[in-house]
Amino acid sequence: MKILIVDDSSTMRRIIINTLSRIGYTDVVEGENGKSGLEKLGQGGVEMIITDWNMPEMDGLEFVKTVRGQNPVIPILMVTTNAAKEDIVEALQAGVNNYVVKPFTPDTLKEKIESLLG
Amino acid sequence: MDQSEIDALLIGGGKSPKKPKMAAKAPEAAAFPAAPSKKEPTTQAEPKKDGSGHVISELDTVTSVTERESNKVMDQLDQISRLVSRQQQLITDMMRHEGAQSLGVQGAIQEVATASKEIQDKVFEVMDLMQFQDITRQKLERIVHHLRQIHDYIAELLGTGLKSDTERPSISHTIAQTGTTPDENKAHADAVIEAFKSQKKE
Repeated sequence: MKILIVDDSSTMRRIIINTLSRIGYTDVVEGENGKSGLEKLGQGGVEMIITDWNMPEMDGLEFVKTVRGQNPVIPILMVTTNAAKEDIVEALQAGVNNYVVKPFTPDTLKEKIESLLG
Repeated sequence: MDQSEIDALLIGGGKSPKKPKMAAKAPEAAAFPAAPSKKEPTTQAEPKKDGSGHVISELDTVTSVTERESNKVMDQLDQISRLVSRQQQLITDMMRHEGAQSLGVQGAIQEVATASKEIQDKVFEVMDLMQFQDITRQKLERIVHHLRQIHDYIAELLGTGLKSDTERPSISHTIAQTGTTPDENKAHADAVIEAFKSQKKE
């Protein structure tokens, strides 16, 4: 399964990639903002998206809305520092399937991914 | 921070707090420097002449440098992880060796294997804790946002028309709820998700 990780922090992308590899997902592609995420998505083969919210050029919310305009079914997990209730609701309304607040444990990421793929 | 970064700071206007006179030399212009590129963490912000954006410039440098240094730590952790994996493979090979089949030797090897697994777990734990870098960066972005608002307000008040640059990453609406302990917001987020999904079903 190919997973697209969109986050402007290279450290965070590495942490997510590392966590994914520990739970058996090693086929990943990376984007550093929504714009490059869309480019990677356009290259095909992506079956799941993990995206940050706060990014330059195109933020995660805009990215999710754009993706949903093209693909209503691909699972999207938002992983962000935004913890306010209204933020979580806004992301869900935009089309996010599930939501993780940073900092997270590997168990949480695993649980969320498995629930999305379940 | 290495010498090239110190030089870049001095040239680029990221004034050292120990040399306040530099900021007073050219008070005639004001513009906040652009954020350094994420791909080139050592790239300094554009030179500025009035010192008003020095704090922002330095904060941008702090976030870029810490990201670069965090990646160096991650590189080292990856290296340790690979070495531990290699060690675990050697331990497995050793256990199969015909000279190591006595109960005593097998027990000793098993202890080494357990210790090796503990090291690997700790390495993963440290990697996960490196999330602090991204969280701190976003908190600094929020502070920079407030500083820019103050700058723009004063600029407008004085009628200089010198607004700060507008192209910045989107930032958290608030940092008050940004946690530092892993999963401290999980229960809250899960409850909001559940409530949203239940509401949608109705």
